Amino acid sequence: MKRLFHANIIDITGILIIGLALFFFSFGSNIKNLFEVPASFLNMNTIFLSILIEALPFVLVGVLIAGIIQIFVTEEHIKKCIPKNKLLAVLMSCIIGALFPACECGIVPIVRRLISKGVPIHAAMGFMLTGPLINPIVIASTYMAFGNNFKIAGLRMGLGFVIAIIISIVISLLFKGNQFKTAPQKQTIHSHSHTKKGPFLNRFWSMLTHSIDEFFDMGKYLVIGAILAAFVQTYMPAKALLEAGDGTVASLIVMMGLAYVLSLCSEADAFIGASFSSLFPTSSILGFLIFGPMIDFKNTIMMLNVFRFKFVISVLALVASIIFIVLLLLSSYI
Amino acid sequence: MKFNFQQAARALILFAFSAMLFKMHYTGDLTKYINPKYESLSQSASILFLILFFIQLTRIWTVKEQGHHCHHADHACTHDHGDSTFSIKKLLSYGILIFPLITGFLLPPKVLDASIVDKKGGMAILSNQKQSAQKNEGTNSDPAEQADPSEPLEHSIDQSNLDFPEEVSQDEYDKLIQKLEQSTNIEMNDYVFSPYYEEISFDVNRYKGRNITLTGFVYKEEGFEQNQLVLSRFLITHCVADASIIGFLSEFSEAASVEEDTWIEATGVLDVTTYGGNELPIIKITHWKKISEPAKPYLYPVNIKIL
Repeated sequence: MKRLFHANIIDITGILIIGLALFFFSFGSNIKNLFEVPASFLNMNTIFLSILIEALPFVLVGVLIAGIIQIFVTEEHIKKCIPKNKLLAVLMSCIIGALFPACECGIVPIVRRLISKGVPIHAAMGFMLTGPLINPIVIASTYMAFGNNFKIAGLRMGLGFVIAIIISIVISLLFKGNQFKTAPQKQTIHSHSHTKKGPFLNRFWSMLTHSIDEFFDMGKYLVIGAILAAFVQTYMPAKALLEAGDGTVASLIVMMGLAYVLSLCSEADAFIGASFSSLFPTSSILGFLIFGPMIDFKNTIMMLNVFRFKFVISVLALVASIIFIVLLLLSSYI
Repeated sequence: MKFNFQQAARALILFAFSAMLFKMHYTGDLTKYINPKYESLSQSASILFLILFFIQLTRIWTVKEQGHHCHHADHACTHDHGDSTFSIKKLLSYGILIFPLITGFLLPPKVLDASIVDKKGGMAILSNQKQSAQKNEGTNSDPAEQADPSEPLEHSIDQSNLDFPEEVSQDEYDKLIQKLEQSTNIEMNDYVFSPYYEEISFDVNRYKGRNITLTGFVYKEEGFEQNQLVLSRFLITHCVADASIIGFLSEFSEAASVEEDTWIEATGVLDVTTYGGNELPIIKITHWKKISEPAKPYLYPVNIKIL
């Protein structure tokens, strides 16, 4: 009997956990009507869950890719691929980011894994900035949202690409090392890590368990970010902002601020941006469309989990100020 | 054999996420959160969570003899593997992850209402739609053709033969707009609502005097006349967080008695008015009735294939 129990212990625990979960759910539906929740909280909860539901598939893909990088990519691969020259490295990472169809919610775990595998910080940032901004889905949705006109979509991609390169170059001048929060357990010492041992199936298995751990690491920050973004949407009146945004400089600040706090998915923000296009000049709309995908509320909180506070704030300030300056200089031409 | 409580908790959370997404899909609540077009993404996420749950199950019981700890000492990932000791901080981080599960199961999804319209900018956004539609000049049909009296105007748009594809080609889209240009009775069903709205707002004077039928919920704002309200809808691109507002300013004598968030089916005549210095369409409502909230309260954009 005891042996039987041991042999089937995983099945038994599994059934117990499923049973426990189902018990909670059925219990939950009974107490649903017992208490009144204010309508604005329900609004916020709906927006919060919708951000989460929208982001989860992309986050899962992100952690799986992070797992694959952790297990199957070695530092030697990275060393061979990334050019020594900083400028070339930045250029290459920005192009790879542009080709890689990522969403900003899924990209932080991927970037973290890449850096821990020895990708230099400037190249990783280039990848992080262009990944969510430039990809086919974003181009298509921007094209549609602005009345089937390629001007805005083209400017968004082109300017965004140039801005990402500028930011990455500045980062390469300012920061060295991996900028991780926790004292880096140097990967190089552990060259005998489990990337090399064991048959493929074992490595595949540990890739999946790594992905699970990564999800639990990132998940809570995604949840916090989504709650904050939903709170802003439910309780902050855009009207006050709209009235504040008079003139090129003020409107640019307002639109970039809006992009940051709303934390919309880059694939869906074009329609929101378009709804402001009659109120504000094109340069401000571009500020919204370029700043949002590169860095936002949700993203910052996820980054704070990985990188040093000072680094995250510097990147945020850099991205904001460079986009601001570039768009302000160009505002009379676009 | 050692029972690993944290790993079990993780397994439970993974299963609960999978179950929550499945439940939302099963009950149809998912469409209250995201555009149905992306439903398959959430379904895949649900299945992925289930697979990860089964993988996680194998980690709950660890056999001590195998020296499991060695395995972890020799690699350098920066994340927690759930083997470290339990602390308040851990409890908090699991609590955060459980929060959406609790609200997702306990609280019903709420259809966005007029208070959100207000937060999103209300009339300041609605009255400025005109310039936002930057149309390709080429797609506008010849105005001479429009003015030709010998061409009979189609009386009402027959939507039955359209199967409402999510994506249309540029040609099909132009045909849709052409139908609008030629009809005297404009029927705003959910499928054509947003393209027609954009077209009518763009070229207000062209549609003056035509009949229009639409449904929407009531939104009011300070500065409205007693007989004015907005019949509005939300347009969802991806999820309700990115909802944008569209709506027509409307006028009828009983408007003051109709409360915000009431769903209305109305017929009226399109006219032009100015609001805050902008020209915008206004509907002089002739017939209206209260209806219950539709099963599909949101609108979704019609996508144009560009490749």
